Amino acid sequence: MQADETETRLRTLMLASLDGDAAAYRQLLSELTRYLRPYFARRLSPAHASHAEDLVQDTLLAVHTRRMTYDRARPFTAWLHAVAHHKFVDHVRRHAIRPTVPLEDDAPVFAADDSANAADRLDVDAVLSDVSPRTADLIRQTRLEGASIAEAAARHGMTETAAKVSIHRGLKALMARFAGGEK
Amino acid sequence: MTDDLIARLAADLEPTPRHAVERRILLSLLMGMLVTVLWAYLVFDLMLGRTFGGADSVAMFWTKFGYTLALGLLGLAAAPVLVRPDGRIIWPLVGAGLLALMALGSGTMMWMRADWPMDMLMGRTAMVCPWLIVLAALPVLIALLAAMRRLAPRSPAMAGLAAGLVAGGFGAWVYAFYCGETGMMFIAVWYSLGIGLTALLGAALGRTLLRW
Repeated sequence: MQADETETRLRTLMLASLDGDAAAYRQLLSELTRYLRPYFARRLSPAHASHAEDLVQDTLLAVHTRRMTYDRARPFTAWLHAVAHHKFVDHVRRHAIRPTVPLEDDAPVFAADDSANAADRLDVDAVLSDVSPRTADLIRQTRLEGASIAEAAARHGMTETAAKVSIHRGLKALMARFAGGEK
Repeated sequence: MTDDLIARLAADLEPTPRHAVERRILLSLLMGMLVTVLWAYLVFDLMLGRTFGGADSVAMFWTKFGYTLALGLLGLAAAPVLVRPDGRIIWPLVGAGLLALMALGSGTMMWMRADWPMDMLMGRTAMVCPWLIVLAALPVLIALLAAMRRLAPRSPAMAGLAAGLVAGGFGAWVYAFYCGETGMMFIAVWYSLGIGLTALLGAALGRTLLRW
């Protein structure tokens, strides 16, 4: 159910990206980052944890240069998983790293995502749909994905103060709605 | 860092046409064939003195025509799948193997009925035939491998093998126009060997050239 929802959402973004929609593409790549980071981190021993970010970037780059090989009629998540897996195996071989998970026992990329576990994330999406999309995104970035307020504000082209106010009002509204009054 | 990368990649985005992989492969095959046709005329006609359409038996010419083209087309069915990261396909390669076995089987039957004359197997050109097929196939193989370097095969060796099968099949198809041999056993052994060598060459080159 969750996997189907992820597939539909990401595939839609990928199809728009293939038609040249840069905004959809940017969103696709940042969403993929959220899945790829824990995917690689899980597979590397703590001593090699620093390789995870390189692998995320390698994979994004491969998605970019090899996007032609995605067959529009096939599942996107399967393609992305194949790309990430290929990059991981290649990286491990090249750096003679001992992976923490046997290569055969390879859980797919979309088994887990970074911000929270799957059920919680659905709840969060539902709750955040109550406030304006920009506020929702600010809250998501600062409170769930660990971005600083300055970063989140910059991404939306607003000042830090305005972002703070927006986040505060958004959270207050949500509290009023879901906590049955101010606490 | 990763955010910068995403911004740069998004700025670099250009629309990707539909069936881009298939088009890329067909276009490279077409360009390779153009060179192969000229190259074959130069080497086989002008240098080796073979005449175009030099087969003595019409039926045997069509057998060569069909056998080589079928192997090339089987490779062409496998190639666009094998160049993808999630691509798995096996039936064209099994089909090519079965086709070669069938050719060997019927060749042996005909050879047996004629009571095993040596020249039915060896013809006059057995020692050069496989090498000339590889030679004729080279331009197609180079064009296909060059086109595939921008793609992302799950297994570089398998993608190279498919490229080699396409190149071998189409190269042998062009060679058939300059080949005067008429024995079924000759085709089953020496043509298959030439095409097989090209496929192996493709796999060996693909292993290193098609890494990504």
